[in-house]
Amino acid sequence: MAEHAIPPRNSRPGGEHVVSAGHPLRRLVRRIPLLAWLVLVWLLLWGTYDLGTTLFGVLVGVLVTGFFPAPPIVTDIRLRPWGIVRLVMRLAWDLVVSTARVSWHAVAQGPRARAAIVEVRLVTDSDHLMAMVANAVSLAPGNFVLQLDRANRICYVYALGCGRDASERVRREVLAWERSVVRAVGTAEQLRLVERTHRGVEVD
Amino acid sequence: MSWVDLFSGICLITGAASCLFGAIGLLTFPDVAARLQAATKPQTLGLILILIGSAVRLEARDASGLILVGLFQALTAPVLAQLVGRAAYRAGSVREETLDVDHLAHRIERERRRGL
Repeated sequence: MAEHAIPPRNSRPGGEHVVSAGHPLRRLVRRIPLLAWLVLVWLLLWGTYDLGTTLFGVLVGVLVTGFFPAPPIVTDIRLRPWGIVRLVMRLAWDLVVSTARVSWHAVAQGPRARAAIVEVRLVTDSDHLMAMVANAVSLAPGNFVLQLDRANRICYVYALGCGRDASERVRREVLAWERSVVRAVGTAEQLRLVERTHRGVEVD
Repeated sequence: MSWVDLFSGICLITGAASCLFGAIGLLTFPDVAARLQAATKPQTLGLILILIGSAVRLEARDASGLILVGLFQALTAPVLAQLVGRAAYRAGSVREETLDVDHLAHRIERERRRGL
C-alpha cells in the first residue's frame, strides 16, 4: 500500500505543505498537532499525569521532531468531527458483525468457504482518501484490499463468503465505506461527488 | 457481584470466544487468504473486548495505557493482512477453485496479452 500512497513530487503546484520552509514561527505552529500527539502517547505510556511528565514529554517531542523532521505532506483532507464519530462507530459495528459472520463461516463451511476478488473503482481521486478507504475495508474480517491501482482509482478487494452476486455486493460495500470516509475527512467537492454517485447507485 | 464485574465478565468471555473462532477458522479455511481473515481479524475484536473487560476493573490511570494497545492493533492489522494477502496471491497460494470471481486475474491476463 505504501508505495501507492506516495504522491509524485511537485505534482500539485497549488498544494499546501504541512511543514514548509516558510517563516520559522509558522513552521513551529504547524508542528504542534504532531507534538501534541507525541506528548499524549508519552503520557499514556508512563501512566502518570502530572506537570513534570508533561514537560519531559514536550522536551522529548521537540527533540524527536527536531532531529527526525517529518517529510512534507501534501494533503487536502478536512476534518469533520461528526463524520469522524460516525465513521468510528461504523467501524466498530462492522467489526462486531463481520467477526460473527466469519466465525459462522469458519464453523459451518470451513473448507468449502467461497471467496471473490472484485474490482471496485472509487469515485474520489485522492491518495489519502484511498489509503483510508483501503484500511477501513481491511479492518473487519472477511474483506481486505489485495491490490491497489492508484492511477485508475481501482481497489481489488478480496471478500470471503459471498454469494452469487458477489461483485455487486462488494462494490456497494466499498463505495459505502468511501462515502463514510469522505463524510469524515473529505472536501466539500469530494462530498458532492460521492453523494451524486450514491444517488446514481440507488436509482440503478 | 456488581454490574462492573458482570460487564467485565461478558467482555472477557466474548473476546476470548472471538479469538477461539479465529483459531478454528485458521484450521478449517481452505487457503492462505481465507485463513488470513481468521488469523488477523477476529483477534482485533477479541483483543479490544479483553482490553475493555480488563480496563473497567483497573484504576483509570493504569487502564489508560491499554488505549494505545487497542489503537495500534486496529492500525496495524489491516496493513499486515494486505501485505500477507498480496504476497500469497503473487505466490499462487490463493486457490482459484475457491473463488467465484477474480477480476485481478482477468486484469493480469489482459496486461500479459498486451505485453506480448
